[in-house]
Amino acid sequence: MKWAHAKTGSIILAFAMASQTAHASTQGTLGATSTGSVTINASIASRVQISGLSDVTFNAVDPMIAASSAQNVCVWSNTNNRGYRITASGNGSGSAFTLASGVLPVVPYSVEWAGSSGQASGTALSSGTALTGLTSTATNPTCSTGATSSASLIVKMASADLQAMQAGPTYTGTLTLLVAPE
Amino acid sequence: MVAVMIDGTKSQDRNLRRQIACRGVCHRLIRCFGALLVTATAVSAAPASAQKVRIDGLVDVNFGTIANLTADSWQSQSICVFSQTANGGYNIRAFGSGTGGSFTLASGGNTLAYEVQWSATSGQTTGTILTANTALTGLTSAATQQVCNAGPPTTASLIVVLRAAALTSAIAGAYSGTLTLVVAPE
Repeated sequence: MKWAHAKTGSIILAFAMASQTAHASTQGTLGATSTGSVTINASIASRVQISGLSDVTFNAVDPMIAASSAQNVCVWSNTNNRGYRITASGNGSGSAFTLASGVLPVVPYSVEWAGSSGQASGTALSSGTALTGLTSTATNPTCSTGATSSASLIVKMASADLQAMQAGPTYTGTLTLLVAPE
Repeated sequence: MVAVMIDGTKSQDRNLRRQIACRGVCHRLIRCFGALLVTATAVSAAPASAQKVRIDGLVDVNFGTIANLTADSWQSQSICVFSQTANGGYNIRAFGSGTGGSFTLASGGNTLAYEVQWSATSGQTTGTILTANTALTGLTSAATQQVCNAGPPTTASLIVVLRAAALTSAIAGAYSGTLTLVVAPE
């Protein structure tokens, strides 16, 4: 049995912050030296980015043993505490976490998320419901510097569900992950 | 005039007349040399220390809310720099409100580094990168009036750049800082 699965791109949300504007420029006077000054104002919007996602493939799994696939991903947030929340959705009916293969009955899978990398288990996600209160150690949007990854995505299939699948056909689905600053 | 005089008195009188005559000559000479001095002052170049400069036309730099953090953001403005030196020469030194005069903006305890560039011509979007507290020398201005209200209206460009690397490494928030520019004749 082969299960090719989800990959999403990064998603960015913006929360514009009011620009702090001051008018304080000063002009120089004629003299042996002349000094002027300007005030510089800039507002940086809250941003997040998720990257480093890989497709999940379960190939020829033993239906008697639950299957699990964990991967390290990069989630970056520029909020003051580098906080974020994540919402997952599948492409099943009502965004359910299910895999399909033609007319065969769909089979469910589960999704877990950990706010640190290298984890084999995490907090179970419900489709369309945000998991909040997460923080990232990433200091670069794509983890190209600093921490190379900051979170773990874990996809699991229960043995009972594997046993309900038909051998041979490939079951596929798409898992979408939405990250927002917090 | 007293008619009876001893020689010495006559001698003193002669001396007095000489002095009076000399004083008249001297006054004329002084007036003459004074005119020459004034003329000399008008036509010769004064030492750089006595010559004056002026920077004018600066406006605050407002980036607003920066949404795209993966691209450099920049703001440029054309300003007036006037120099009294023979060739309009000047140098410029800049410092920020960050630690040690560094070019950083602050938002509470968070900082955002920026870059300052200078061009000795107006209307430019790039220039020479300034180092905080280090003068950029060898600049000249075409300004003929100290606030550029005659002749060229602006003579130089100030460019402030927020690099993408700085933007993506900064914490979200409203940042502010002061950039000071000091011009000196050269």
